[in-house]
Parts: sequence; structure tokens; C-alpha cells
Amino acid sequence: MPNVIEIKNLTFKYKDKIALHNIDIAFPARQVTALIGPSGCGKSTLLRCLNRMNDLIEQTAISGEITYEGKDIYDRYYDVIELRTKIGMVFQKPNPFPMSIFDNVAYGPRCQGVKEKKKLQEIVKKALLDAALYEEVKDRLKESAMSLSGGQQQRLCIARAIAMNPQVILMDEPTSALDPIATAKIEELISDLKTSYTIIIVTHNMQQAARISDFTAFFLMGNLVEYGETDQIFSKPLQPKTEEYITGRFG
Amino acid sequence: MKTNRHRLDKIYLSLISFISLFGVVILVLVFAYIFNKGTRLLSWNLIVGDYYPEVYNARSDGVIGENMFVRPENLSENAWFSAKWGIALEDNADFEGKNYIKVVYIDKNSPLANMPDKNDTNHMVGLKKGHSLDKVIFTNNVIVLSREGAQNAILLFDEAEGIADIIFSKPGNGIRGSLITTGYLILFTLIIALPLGIFTAIYLNEFANPGRWYVKWLRRLVETLTGVPSIIYGLFGAALFIPFISSITSSEGGNILTGALTLSVMVLPIVISATEDALKAIPDDFRHASLALGANRSQTTFKIVLRAAIPGILSGVLLSIGRIIGESAALIYAVGTAIKDKIILTEKSTSLSVFIWSVMSGENPNFELAASVAIIIMIFVLLLNLGIKIISSKFIFKHN
Repeated sequence: MPNVIEIKNLTFKYKDKIALHNIDIAFPARQVTALIGPSGCGKSTLLRCLNRMNDLIEQTAISGEITYEGKDIYDRYYDVIELRTKIGMVFQKPNPFPMSIFDNVAYGPRCQGVKEKKKLQEIVKKALLDAALYEEVKDRLKESAMSLSGGQQQRLCIARAIAMNPQVILMDEPTSALDPIATAKIEELISDLKTSYTIIIVTHNMQQAARISDFTAFFLMGNLVEYGETDQIFSKPLQPKTEEYITGRFG
Repeated sequence: MKTNRHRLDKIYLSLISFISLFGVVILVLVFAYIFNKGTRLLSWNLIVGDYYPEVYNARSDGVIGENMFVRPENLSENAWFSAKWGIALEDNADFEGKNYIKVVYIDKNSPLANMPDKNDTNHMVGLKKGHSLDKVIFTNNVIVLSREGAQNAILLFDEAEGIADIIFSKPGNGIRGSLITTGYLILFTLIIALPLGIFTAIYLNEFANPGRWYVKWLRRLVETLTGVPSIIYGLFGAALFIPFISSITSSEGGNILTGALTLSVMVLPIVISATEDALKAIPDDFRHASLALGANRSQTTFKIVLRAAIPGILSGVLLSIGRIIGESAALIYAVGTAIKDKIILTEKSTSLSVFIWSVMSGENPNFELAASVAIIIMIFVLLLNLGIKIISSKFIFKHN
């Protein structure tokens, strides 16, 4: 199983606080990897390092190496815009743009210069189908995305990311703002998506990690404590801290 | 102790109520006074009419047939009708209280509707509804004067056979010219100030590093400029823009272009801070979502952030328009105080607010006209405020 992203010796500092400490991890292609750990353990920070969204925060420092398809993404000459078209992201809060459903999905391709109406329609339809949203919205593509329910909005955000035809989709607690039914739909969707995309998901919900992921990484205070196949992590964790966390003794 | 405190409380409460009542009464009195003075002149003619009266001098050969005209049914009871000439006249008073005869009806076949001009007999002029009848000399040497009233005039008209000399005028005191000037000022000011202001705000809020000293100073400067009295902007405009516009056009002194330039400097801080507030209200979620989709910073700014900020920017535009309509001090230098009917961009004229100043500063202050214009300005400002209210109520961001 080839690795899409490899991280070597990554240390990330925010002001004087070390958020990530000497992380070594690799994400296999077309698998779901879950990042778990208590709040403030650095899992979201790691996720945002992967598409360089941390660039937007000031006074941060990064050392070590993150390679995507063998290239160092923190290289001076690396094209961040290009990177973000290959590595999509879904945020914790559903954040569709205040425009129509169609325009939301077409936004990314349009920014890349796709102008042809027919092509855009194709892309939007395929993305919405892949995000299991098409049947619900096909008659109201021109309506505002704000009129959708929370779960639909989040699936729209997934469709928006898929429309870029990325290789990797990063998900930052995508179901934490949703009700159980909407959550179940997203989980089902993630299982479907992994045949075509590499998915890295941050979650607070241990059952969710156990249900949907193939690999799990457990973080604690900026350190990667344990990383392995999900079955192994949840049934026979090697580290005592991991066991304490997944059995709910802290966190 | 307790009763004393109770009494003090009552005294304070009644004092506060009394003072606020006093304030409300003063405001109501001001409005009542202006409305009382100004409503009589409010009419469509005031808005579309010229300021300066136009005087006509003509003659007429006489009537076509005896009593061929019928009094229209919708004429008021005060109107005097001549079946012979097909006109109806009414007594009226101008703003100085002087009586004049107002034409309230004229049949389209009336001989008075089509008369040769005395100064140029090839040119035909005609009495029209709303005109003032100033003086008539009939061919039998009988003279009608406007101060003698409409009834007398109609009696003499019915006796006469032809008109040797008729002087009538289209009444003035219209504000069309000032309305157009105000419109031009709003248009040109916004054309100059909006792009400048919006781009400055975008730079300050989206691109500049907020920690830099020059960004801090630019912001402080904008805040300070918002509070500068407008007469200072007027001086600035007179010193800088009048020579500038004079050097590129043939204009002399203040004109609409220099006024618009001066006003642009004045409303620039308003546009900048309104746009900045609107940009600040856009949640970072949108910026991040856009960047994470591979959009660059300018795409994110123009396609997402600016789009979402349009309602806020619009309320800044309305605020600016309110400022432009209400401005007088800065424009006395920059546009001038001469009321004009024919508006040329490189010549002096007046905006509505300066119009009030102009009609009040002559030998006969025309308070009634000033009050009418004041009402029109107040209606404009009221509508603008309503617009801002509506826009900002929609601007409360619908984002869960």
C-alpha cells in the first residue's frame, strides 16, 4: 500500500508553545485514517499542516518534512494553491458560501479557470452524486446553500471539495455539529468515498473512529503515542495511555 | 431613611421625564414649524420648475367666435371662467404675499394658447396652466393689472375684442437645477470615492499586516478624518481642486467637478470605515473554505468576501449620499452659491442645501421656499435612513 503523505520529524510551534513534537507518520492511499486524542493534543494542527492552512496563522514555526507524492510541501518553491487543489478540506462547522448550491460546488473549478457551462454542470452533478446529495437538491440547484439543513450543508462542503477531484480529503471533526442521523449519513459517505480518495479525519468520537477508519493515530499533548490499524488500536493497544483513552478513563 | 430615598427617587424620575419631554417638544416644534411653512409651496412644479421666472410678451388678433368655450366641470369654485376666450383665472399669492392672477385652465383652441411673440412675430407663444397673468392691454385701451384680481380680469376679457399687448410669465422658484446639481454631485462623488475607499478598506482588512506601523497610522488617519469639520474640506477643495480643474478646463472658480472632488475627500473616510466594518463581519470560515479549495487570495477576496460584504458597503454608500445631500459648508467654496437653471459641469451652481442658504441670504429671504426644500431634503434623508435600516437588518449574517 503506497503512502500518499509522509511526515518526518515534524515539530510545530505556535508562539512559544510546541503544538506538535517530532511526529513521524505516513498516510496510506485510499484508506481512512482517523486522528484521535483529547482536545489540544495537536491532531487538528497536524491536519492543517497537510494543506498548509497553518500558513494563515501568524507567529508559527515549523520544522521537519512533509512530503506529498514525494515532494516537500514546505519547500520555498512549492505551489500552495496547487497543493490545496490536490488536498481538499472539510471543516468542523458546515461553511457553504452564501451563494447558490450550484455556485458553491462550481466555485473551486471556476477559480481554476473552468468556464465552460456544460463542463461545470458535469462536474457539479458528479460531485453532488458522489457526496450523496444530488437526489435531494437536483431540483433546487439555483437556491441558496443557506437553505439546506446542517447535514446537507456538510455534504455540500464535501461535494465542494470533491469537485476539485483531489487525491486526499482532510476532515476536521466533520460531524461534531450534526445530529446522529446526519452523522450516520456522513459516515456512510466516507466509507463510499475511500474507494477513490485518501481520507484523513480528525474526530472526538471514538466509536466513529472505530466504525469508519482503517488506521488510527492517537495523539497526546503534541506527541504521537500510537499509530496502527484501527482493529489493533481498539482491541489490543500497545501503549497503556492509548488503552486508558479509548476506554474512557481520561480525555 | 427609607422614605427619604424613596422621595429622591421620585424627584429624579420626574426630572428625567421632564427633560426628555422638553427635548421631544423642541424637536416636534422644529418639524411642525418647517412643515407649516413649507407645505404650501410643495408641488410637482417646485421640483421640475426653473428658479428664474420666464416672461413672455405677445399680442392676439382676437376671438374666433362668440362664447364657443364651455366651462370644464372640474374647475374649482374660486376660478373665474371666460367662455369667450376659453380661460379660467384664479387669485393667488406669491411667497412675499403679493397677489397675482394664476391661469388655472386654458382650452387648447383658445386664441390665448397661440399668440405671436411681440419680439419675434414668427415665433408663437401661449398661455399655459400655472402661468401668471401680469398685464393685458386690450385693443379698446382697457388695461388689466394683476393686482386687481381675477374677477375683474375676466369681466374685461369678456368685453374686449382683441389684445394689443399681453405680458405673462412662467413662475420661477423651482428647484430643478439644484436637484440636478445634487444628483451630479452624488454621482461623481461616488464614482471617485467608492473605488478608492473600497480598495483602501480591502487593503487594510484583507492584505495588510495589521501589526505594521503604517497600517496603524493609516487607520488612525481615517478615523481622524471622519471627524474633521466640513468647512475645512471646503477650504482644501478651494485651495487644491479649483486651480486643478481650472487648469484643465476653461472654468473659473468653483464648479460641480471641484465640488465632487471635495466631497469625495470628505466621504472617503466614511466609505473606508463602512467597508472595513462590513469586511470584518464576514466570518473567517468563508476565507478558509475558499483558500482550502485552491483559490488564491484575490479570488477569495473578490468572489467571496467582497460579495458577502456588499450589503454593508451599500449602507456606507447610503450614509455617504446622506452626507452629500446635507453638505453645505464645504460646497459654498467648492461649487458656489449661484442658483442656476441650466446646469453645466464646469460652472457654478448650488446643491439643495446650498440652495436654502442662497434663497435665505438675499434681500428678501424666501423662508417658505427654503422650508419646502428643507422638507424635500428631510424626506430624502428619511428614505436613506430607512434604506440603511432595511439593509443592515438583512446584513445580520445568516451563518449557523
